[in-house]
Amino acid sequence: VDRPTLLLTTAAERCSGHARCNALAPELFELDERGYTALPACVAVPADLEAAARLGADSCPERVFELRIVPPHEGEI
Amino acid sequence: MGLADAGDRQKGEQMTDWNDPEWFARTFQVWDETFDARRPQPDYVSVFAAGEPVRPIPGMSIVGSRMGVDAVALHADQFTASGVIEMGNVRPLIPISIDGPEHAVYRRLLEPLFAPTKMDALVPLMVARMNELIDEVVDDGRCDYVASIAARFPSYIFLGMLGMPLGDFDDLVDMKDGIMHPHRTTSDPVEIVQIQAAAAQRIYDYYDAALDDRSRSPKDDLLTELLHVGIDGRSLVREEALDICFNLMMAGLDTVTGALGCCMAYVAQHPEHRRQIVDDPSIVPDAVEELMRWESPVNGIFRRAATDGELLGCPVRRGDAVNATLGAANIDPIEFPDPFTVDFSRRPNRHLAFGKGMHRCLGSHLARRQLRVALAEWHARIPEYEMVPGQTLVYGSPTRMVEHLELQWAV
Repeated sequence: VDRPTLLLTTAAERCSGHARCNALAPELFELDERGYTALPACVAVPADLEAAARLGADSCPERVFELRIVPPHEGEI
Repeated sequence: MGLADAGDRQKGEQMTDWNDPEWFARTFQVWDETFDARRPQPDYVSVFAAGEPVRPIPGMSIVGSRMGVDAVALHADQFTASGVIEMGNVRPLIPISIDGPEHAVYRRLLEPLFAPTKMDALVPLMVARMNELIDEVVDDGRCDYVASIAARFPSYIFLGMLGMPLGDFDDLVDMKDGIMHPHRTTSDPVEIVQIQAAAAQRIYDYYDAALDDRSRSPKDDLLTELLHVGIDGRSLVREEALDICFNLMMAGLDTVTGALGCCMAYVAQHPEHRRQIVDDPSIVPDAVEELMRWESPVNGIFRRAATDGELLGCPVRRGDAVNATLGAANIDPIEFPDPFTVDFSRRPNRHLAFGKGMHRCLGSHLARRQLRVALAEWHARIPEYEMVPGQTLVYGSPTRMVEHLELQWAV
């Protein structure tokens, strides 16, 4: 079944290491050895991690993360 | 210009003298007079009711919204932490009083030593130490939580991290109080400076000797790590290691003591919140976040304007004191629905009790774990307790520390 994709974008330059994302949703929000976000600039969130993505992204005091819903077939002709 | 204006301008010029050694203390004093530390939240609302920044005296601007904190904390080039903290230290503290690229280098070096996973490894030690402290009072049916628990726990953990003996506790507290609380001994500004200078020298000597010891016989502790971490391909020089140790001592002891006292005072006065923790200890991490939002034990960050410019559209002059009230931002209704309700299930909870931006509290992950362990262990062992009736809580400022918190329970 075609379903929208949830994209998680990460503005790592704004991260200051609160690590709240990892505290609430460690299954998705990995940290580096300093305790800063280790996520790439943009990832597609697996369906079973969408709740974790929202929880972690919403927790950030620096607003590092954004979630965007991409409709199915976007960009296709 | 009227006489009053001329007087104000004079005070303003005096206030903004970059080299004035009393500048820091005076800023703290004005802060203290602006917010009632015992119950500051209503003051936050009334002080900022007519907008921000507020200027309690010429040359000092205070902001108290989420946006205001951003304007200060995220613009370190304009609002510098350099030279703000004067507690007898002879060099700037590392990293809190350093800005710019140099600061980033120090933070990169220190952050792995205080990262969440690293602090997780300390939790068993914290649990053991907290239970030892509870052991001492549990059969008494009463204690001053501050003296028996809150004032001791962070220092014991700190000494453990440094690899120093617990027997150093009294010395540690004495040195720390010398730089942080000289006003408890005297109100004379000259004596205050002397007390701070003497305590600071003891601090430098204490860590200098400990670092000498670790370079002879390395141990598995933070001091040994400081001797071995690299910075731009070199080791820290001794003065840098000392300035880091001084910073840790200034930032890591009273803050957690204050937070523990504030949190327990709140829970002791709110049986329904206490009951939630007792019934479901898994809420402790969220409870800690919400208590930190509400209590904001470190309720402000202190900066200086590095240049003439503006803050939220209002002019500031180079040298001005610029303060961001974290506690006020933590009840900003734009960010927090129903901000005066302490809700342990509040999510999201993007509070700024540990600050924001590049100077975000380095020890936040250490502090959070200490607070969680303290709340969880206490309520597991002494779930039913109350404040001893008739006491009036006295809070210090600008780190909100309750001086005594007498608790009682049935034995």
